Amino acid sequence: MVSKILQIVLSPAIALVIGMLLLGLSRKVIARIHRRYGPPIYQPVIDVVRMMSQASISHGALFELGVVLALAGSIVTVLFIPLGGTSAAAGSHPLAHRLLCPLSSSGGLLVVIYLMLFGPVSIALGAGASENPNASIGVSRNMLLALAYEVPFLLVILAVMSHYGTVSLADIVSRQQQSGWGVLTVPLSTVAAFLILPAMLGIRPFDLAGAPQEIASGPLAEYGGRYLALLTIQNGIQLFVVIALFVNLFLGGGVNVVTFLLKVFGVFLAAELVSAVLPRVRIENALKFCWTWPTGLALAQMIITVVSK
Amino acid sequence: MLPTTILIVAFASAGLVYLAGKVHARLRNALAVLSSLVLVGLIGLGYGAWGELVYVPDFLGLELVLRLNLLAWFFAITVAAVVSLSTIFSLSYMRRKESANFHYSATLAVEGAMLGIVFAGDLLSFFIFWEIMSWSAYLLISCNRGRALEAGLKYIIMSLVGSCGMLIGLLAVYTGLGVLRIPLVAEGMQAASPGFVLLVLLTFGLGFGIKSAMVPLHTWLPDAHSEAASPFSAVLSGVLIKMGIYGFVLLMYVVVGLKLLFGVGAAWLTFRHVLCWLGAITVVIPTFIAVLQTDAKRLLAWSSIGQIGYIILGLSFGTSLAVAGAIFHALNHALCKSLLFLAVGAVEHNTGGVRDLNKLGGLAKRMPVTFACALLAGLGLIGIPLTSGFVPKWLIYRSLIEDGYPFLALASLIGTWGAILYVYKLLHNIFLGQLPEKHREVRRAPLSMRIPILLLGLGILVFGVVPGIPLRVVQAIGETFGFARLKVTLWGLASEAGALNVLNICLAIVIAFVVVFLIMRLGAKGPQVSQEDSYAAGSAVPVGRYHYTVDFFGPLSRMIAPYLKDRVDEFYSWVGARARDVFSVTRRMYTGYAGTYVLYIISFLALLIFLQSVWKVW
Amino acid sequence: MDRSHLAKWLKSPAKMANKYSLHAVYFCTGCGIIEIPPVITARWDAERFGIKAVATPRQGNLFMITGYVSLKTLKAIIRTYEQMPDPKYTVAFGSCPINGGMYWDSYNTIKHLDKYIPVDGWIAGCMPRPEAVFIGVTHLWTLIDKGKADGYIRYQKKYAAYRRNQEMLFGDLGWPPLYPSDIPAEEAGA
Repeated sequence: MVSKILQIVLSPAIALVIGMLLLGLSRKVIARIHRRYGPPIYQPVIDVVRMMSQASISHGALFELGVVLALAGSIVTVLFIPLGGTSAAAGSHPLAHRLLCPLSSSGGLLVVIYLMLFGPVSIALGAGASENPNASIGVSRNMLLALAYEVPFLLVILAVMSHYGTVSLADIVSRQQQSGWGVLTVPLSTVAAFLILPAMLGIRPFDLAGAPQEIASGPLAEYGGRYLALLTIQNGIQLFVVIALFVNLFLGGGVNVVTFLLKVFGVFLAAELVSAVLPRVRIENALKFCWTWPTGLALAQMIITVVSK
Repeated sequence: MLPTTILIVAFASAGLVYLAGKVHARLRNALAVLSSLVLVGLIGLGYGAWGELVYVPDFLGLELVLRLNLLAWFFAITVAAVVSLSTIFSLSYMRRKESANFHYSATLAVEGAMLGIVFAGDLLSFFIFWEIMSWSAYLLISCNRGRALEAGLKYIIMSLVGSCGMLIGLLAVYTGLGVLRIPLVAEGMQAASPGFVLLVLLTFGLGFGIKSAMVPLHTWLPDAHSEAASPFSAVLSGVLIKMGIYGFVLLMYVVVGLKLLFGVGAAWLTFRHVLCWLGAITVVIPTFIAVLQTDAKRLLAWSSIGQIGYIILGLSFGTSLAVAGAIFHALNHALCKSLLFLAVGAVEHNTGGVRDLNKLGGLAKRMPVTFACALLAGLGLIGIPLTSGFVPKWLIYRSLIEDGYPFLALASLIGTWGAILYVYKLLHNIFLGQLPEKHREVRRAPLSMRIPILLLGLGILVFGVVPGIPLRVVQAIGETFGFARLKVTLWGLASEAGALNVLNICLAIVIAFVVVFLIMRLGAKGPQVSQEDSYAAGSAVPVGRYHYTVDFFGPLSRMIAPYLKDRVDEFYSWVGARARDVFSVTRRMYTGYAGTYVLYIISFLALLIFLQSVWKVW
Repeated sequence: MDRSHLAKWLKSPAKMANKYSLHAVYFCTGCGIIEIPPVITARWDAERFGIKAVATPRQGNLFMITGYVSLKTLKAIIRTYEQMPDPKYTVAFGSCPINGGMYWDSYNTIKHLDKYIPVDGWIAGCMPRPEAVFIGVTHLWTLIDKGKADGYIRYQKKYAAYRRNQEMLFGDLGWPPLYPSDIPAEEAGA
């Protein structure tokens, strides 16, 4: 019971710290690629503190509710994702500890997919309450982008779930630790998932939902002060959630939290390197891209998985 | 006995309400609301009861039977609840409309017919009540005049085609098995040949498929549901199409039964597979057509077709989890869709008839309760945790994935994503964004509209947080069909087939919400501003026109619109046009001149005499 | 730069955070905007000091008036300034906001920007080079440290005077007063 409560507090804490670190790391990495120094890694923390001290306007109850619900949803999603460790069935490894996943037995990967919806949908509601067409356009683009990457993403997770025959994320992780990572067993799905990873993270070339130059930051157009601070934190946690999901599905989780976080940083670095050199695409191109190459690869993998079962 | 009392109350009150309307409007309203509530109470009393009653001992040599069991009770209580709430809603909506009298009595008649369908214990009563429901619904749809006449005509023609199919099936059963009482028919089916079973499935399936708007039999629904009056649209989408679902359940699991059902058909082209794939297509394509709509009620109508696809997919898939999910989703969709239709009806009523999504906006400030409940209903359609839509969808997905049909699971998950798109479009274009000048003085929905909306929203929330209540009933129904027992807890499932605990999710979300809210309070608080103080690149905001609704999902619409034309509708219209051409030729036979008719008679007699004298036919 | 002095962070986190996270509203006022892209790109990287450009005033706390201010631009500047959340800082670049600069005798430019919105600091030049911009930023930090970068407080206290000046120029501004209670009754009616 005590360990459960400890896990429930520890998981979101890790997500928060690593999320902010990922945000700062992205700015630093891109700066270094641009051959300049860039802000310190803890710059997002400074930004959040500064935003909390600013008294920004509010457009009503739904405006504030959207922000609170988005962050709450992201935090709850973290509780359902394993953050390293092994379950008892996977055998013992010298550096392993018990699986850090407080609510692993309450519904599995399907619940995670649904909880990952909380963020975008709540921000959509709050942005609608912003009474600004820039925000509405941003939400429309955000939803279309989500539709674009959902089709290959669903194919990818269905292939993984079919291959391992289970809906539970903890089971998928432990089976990968026993018999080989997802990269080796469902390779085409891994490639497809990596191709849509920038779309799921909302970084270039798919950062059109919150395009500052085109639509004045999209859904965030009217958000400032403490609301923007919470949304920055939510962005960080969302980055962490998506990458943690990728690591759990394809890189076998981690035997302990440290290896898991190393893998997270590795994947994030790879995604940022892609993002640093590509320009932003339009939503039609995003839809076309996500529905051709990643979908094709994921479909091929799913057919192979179904046929070989 | 209870079913007879219920049916007598329903039909009698339909007549009494009409007569009361001639006397005074208030009396009619009171009587209508009272009788619908009495029906809810009576049905509630019947929970857990079982029994059969012969109510007409000799009708052309057949007995007509009513029966009560858990499956009938489940659908009956849904019907009664939705119709009673729709009647309460009509108190304000139908005030000062000439067709109000007819509306109340016909709604009660439709309710009586639907209750008769679920309580029918033999196929002939089923058919009789089915027909009563069909034509009273037709009259009620056409009540609005104008485009509703065309919509109603399309509906009744397709419904009659389905009923003819059902009649052929009924006659086949009677001539083949000699009995019409459902338990006896079920026994007789076990010994029948697979071809006979397939014939019965197809003929009855045609009727049920048309009524439940399965692709390709769905083309009547968008017109009919959008042109009917809003309270009746809620009844139509909420419970009338569930009668088709009830028919499927009855046909597949009570009459034909589990053992026979999976064997019907050739190698991989089994009945079950075909129906699964039709269900999958019904989930995906109408959902995306709904995304393209700009009329609020048409969007909801196409969305109904999509959600029914889930139910058909679950039913035809045939595992315990899938069937439980499908029947639970029937309840969930009834709650959510009727709430959405009532909410859109309230908006339409208060803005003077505006349904066009391009012209509304910002009404959440003027109609907060309607918005909050519409939001809940939208989230319930998507299946967000904490609403009643989460558990049934989880059950269906789980069942499809674990039994190795990932492509069907893909179709249903894509359907959910399409649902997110159109739900947001509906909510944003009506309730969010800026409030146009001409709607600045829109009043809140009247009390008699708010009460049903609130009650339905409460239902969605309660069944979402405590899904065990409906799950227990659904699970018991599944057991009567012969499925394995599922261990249902108050908060979800605890069986080896699947573990789901909604309580954890709920508590986690609530605690996280409180924590984040407290963190937000730590930040500096700013003033609240009106919609005129919005970012507009440094200029003053144009009053009420700074709003993005037209072409909301433009890029997607342009990409997929060419692929999503309703070709089935075009095909049926083409058939109708060709038939009209043929008929306009054969109509020349009627010259209107008595002499030609005399000529026809004499030539026909001459032909008969010729045949008799030459070939001695008789 | 005392960004790494943990003791100062613990003593007054809001002040330190405001110093090292200056997000500038990307509002291209006049000819001086040509000097901003070099400041924020790779050669004179301003992001290492925490300075970033943001799209909406709601998200920013630094407003750079880069060059001359014409009448049309002033209206947008006032609206943008009022939409920024407190605390906010305004920095004027070049000589035009100080006294009209090169356009001292033009009918269309504003000679003293400080009459219409409060300005916290000026950077001399026409236009200031990026090095001058950075020195100006460090001076802004000093002002924030000492609590003297209080343009936003001045705006609230003397809003009636500012509003009067704005209305003398434009007549009807097109939006209601930001701090309505500070305007005496007879002025609000006029």
